Amino acid sequence: MDKVKYRTLTPEIAAELKRIVGDAYVIYGDKERLEVFSHDEIPGTEYRGMPEAVVRPDSAAQISAIMKLANLEKIPVTPRGAGSGLSGGAVPVSGGIVLCLDRMNRILDIDVENMMVEVEPGVVTNEINEALRKHKLFYAGYPMSLETCFIGGNVAENAGGGKAVKYGVTSRYVLGLEVVTPTGEIVELGGKLVKDVTGYNMVQLMVGSEGTLGIFTRIVLKLIPLPEFQVDLLCMFRNTEEAVGAVPRLMTVSGIIPASIEYMNRIAVKGACEYLNESIPYEDCGAMLLVSLDGTDQERLADEYEAVGLLCREHGAYEVYVADNPSISERLWRIRRNIGEAFNVFSKRQSGEDMVVPPASLPAMVAGLERIAERYGISVPCFGHAGDGNVHARLVCPPEWSDDKWNSELPMILDECYRDVAALGGRISGEHGIGCKRKKYMDKVVSPEYISMLRAVKKAFDPNWIMNPGKIFDL
Amino acid sequence: MHIIVTVKQVPETRTLRMDEATGTLVRDSGTAIVNPLDLYAVELALQLKELHNAHVTAISMGPPHAEKALREVMSMGVDDAVLVSDRAYAGSDAWSTAWILAAAINTVKDFDLIICGERATDGDTGQVGPELAAALNINALTYVNHFELASAGDFTASRLVEDGEEQLAGKLPMLLTVVKEIAVPRLPVLEGKIRARRAPVKTLGQNELKLDERLVGLQGAPTRVDKIFRPQIMRDCIMASATQGQGALAAVKQLNEFLLTRRIGGGGV
Repeated sequence: MDKVKYRTLTPEIAAELKRIVGDAYVIYGDKERLEVFSHDEIPGTEYRGMPEAVVRPDSAAQISAIMKLANLEKIPVTPRGAGSGLSGGAVPVSGGIVLCLDRMNRILDIDVENMMVEVEPGVVTNEINEALRKHKLFYAGYPMSLETCFIGGNVAENAGGGKAVKYGVTSRYVLGLEVVTPTGEIVELGGKLVKDVTGYNMVQLMVGSEGTLGIFTRIVLKLIPLPEFQVDLLCMFRNTEEAVGAVPRLMTVSGIIPASIEYMNRIAVKGACEYLNESIPYEDCGAMLLVSLDGTDQERLADEYEAVGLLCREHGAYEVYVADNPSISERLWRIRRNIGEAFNVFSKRQSGEDMVVPPASLPAMVAGLERIAERYGISVPCFGHAGDGNVHARLVCPPEWSDDKWNSELPMILDECYRDVAALGGRISGEHGIGCKRKKYMDKVVSPEYISMLRAVKKAFDPNWIMNPGKIFDL
Repeated sequence: MHIIVTVKQVPETRTLRMDEATGTLVRDSGTAIVNPLDLYAVELALQLKELHNAHVTAISMGPPHAEKALREVMSMGVDDAVLVSDRAYAGSDAWSTAWILAAAINTVKDFDLIICGERATDGDTGQVGPELAAALNINALTYVNHFELASAGDFTASRLVEDGEEQLAGKLPMLLTVVKEIAVPRLPVLEGKIRARRAPVKTLGQNELKLDERLVGLQGAPTRVDKIFRPQIMRDCIMASATQGQGALAAVKQLNEFLLTRRIGGGGV
C-alpha cells in the first residue's frame, strides 16, 4: 500500500473547491451521488474506492487552482473521464478528490488545412468523427466503447481498439497537449506539428500515463482522409489453431492490411450467439475471425476483400460471410461487441484480461490460455484484436464455485497466464492499462529497474504524490 | 420450377436524413440497401429452390444503381436478375410499378410462383404485390407466414391476419407477399459475392417493353401526393412546482384539480 499519509477533505476544503468551480459543480457529503464515481466498468466490487468530493471544473485555470490547493492540503486527486475504463484507473483508491472532466467537452477547432482537430478531454470520442464526417476526415484512434468513452480517457490510457491493425493506437495521433501538472502549472507540450524534436518527447510520455502525471485540458489530434467504404468478413473456422494461425498469413501473403482482425474463440462465439439469439450456424464453429477492410474506392475494396476472404478459405475457414452495408455489418459486429455483456449475464465473478504478445506469438498464447482454463475447470471466452497480438480473455468463475474458492484460485490462474505471456515476450496489458487492477502483477513482466525508472519520473512530476496515487506501481 | 422474387432498393434508414424544409428524403444521405422485408421473400425462394430444385430470378425496378441490390440477393443464392430501368418509368406509383413489372415478367419466361416482401420500408404501401398479381391475372396471398409445396404445384400456406392465422391450400401459379415470420434471411457468403459481382444483370427498358407512356411514370400514376409534413405533437404541459417544501400544498391541490378534470382520482389534501 502507499506509504504517503493523506489528509481528510474537510468542509473548509470543500468550500474552497466550491469557490473555485462554483457550488453546482462540487459533490460533497452526498454518499449516493459520490458512489457513482467510486468505480469504473470492471465487473464486481473489488476495485472500488469512495471519493470524498467530486469536482467538475470547466477550465485549465480552475484545474490549476484545484491542484495547488490539493498540494497544499495533501489531498489526493483522481482525474476521471467517462468512467468506462477497465483497469480501475479512474477509481479514487485513496479517497480525496475525483476531478471529473465531463464539462470540458468542446470541439475547439477543426483545422481542415492541417488535417488536425483540437478538442477538450471530455468530448465523446465518437462525436469527433461525427463532426469530421462532413469534411471527409477521420480520427483513426477510436476504441470499441464507441458511444461512451471520452477522448481524454483514451489519451490517458493510450487506448487501442478495433482498428489498430491498420491505423495504430491513440498515441499515433496525439500531436499536442495542454497539461495541468500535478503541482498546478499549465504547460503546452507539442502542438500542430508533424515533426518536433524540441527537447524530450513529453507528449508521448503523457499518452498512456493513466492520469498519474497530469491532466490534459486540450488535445491536438492528427486526422486522416475518411475511408468511406467498409466491408466486413465473418470467417468461420473449425478450431482456434486454424483461425489464429491464419492471421499472420492474411497480411504477409495478400499484402493487404485490414483495418481490423478480431478473433473469437468457441466459448465466446457460443456465448454471444446464444445471448443474441443469432441464427447463423455457429454450432460447428470453433473460432471466428471478423476481418474489416476499408478504403475510398469500392471496386478496389471488392478486389481486396475477395483476396483476403479466399485466403481465409484456403487456411481453413469453412464459411465466410460478407457484409458490405451497414445493416449486415451491424449484425456481424454485434456478435463481437456483445461477448462481454453475454458473460456478465452468465457470471458476475470474472477477471477481464488484456494480454498482448508479438502478433506471431498469438497462437501460442491462446493455446496456453485454453490449457490453463481446462486444468482449472473454468471457462475462458477469448476475443479481441488478433491482428495486434492483443486478446481479451475473460476468466469466468464457474457458477457453482464459492467466493472463497474463486478468490484463492484466481491469483494462481493469473500467475500462470502472466508467466506464459512473459515467456512469449508479452505484457499484461495492451490497451486497458495497469491501474489498480494489475499493478501487483507488474513484476511478472518487467524488471525492477524499469519500475524504478517509472517511480523517478513520477517523483519529478508529482513531489507530493497526490496525482492519482495507487496506480501502475506503489510509491 | 421457376420462382420470381421482387426486390426494391431502399435507403438505409439509420443513416437517412430528412430535408426539414421540403419534408422529403435526402436521397443521397444514406447507403442504399435491399428492402429488408424483401430479404424474407428471397429466403423463402432459396429454401424452395433447395427443396424443389427451382430456378430463382430476382426482378427490380429502379435507377441503374439498383443493380447493386440485385447483386446482393444473387450473392445469397438467387440464380439470375433482371433490372427494369428507364427514365420514362421515374415517378411511377404502386399501380404503374405493378403494370411495368408485370410487362417485364411476361418477357422473362414462364413462372410458377412470385414472392414479394410485405412492403417496402420507404414507400410503405404494401400494394405492389397484390397489384402485380392483378396485372398478371393470377391469385395473390398476402401476409403469408408459412408456405409448403407438395407435388404437382399443390401448396399449403398460412396467413397472419388480424385475429389469428388462416390456413389455406391451393395450386400454383400464385403470388405471395410474405411477413418476417416466414424465414430468417441468410447472410451473403464469399463465393456468392464473387459470383454475383461478375454475373450478368439483364436490363429491360422502354426499348424492350414498349409500354404506353401515358400509363407509366408520373403520368401513369393515379396517386397524387398533396403534401408531406411532419405532424406537430401538441402537448400542453402544466408545471406544478414546489421548492424545498415551499408551496407543496398548493402544487398538490393544483394536481388534484387537474386530475379531476380528467375524471381520474383526486382526493383530499
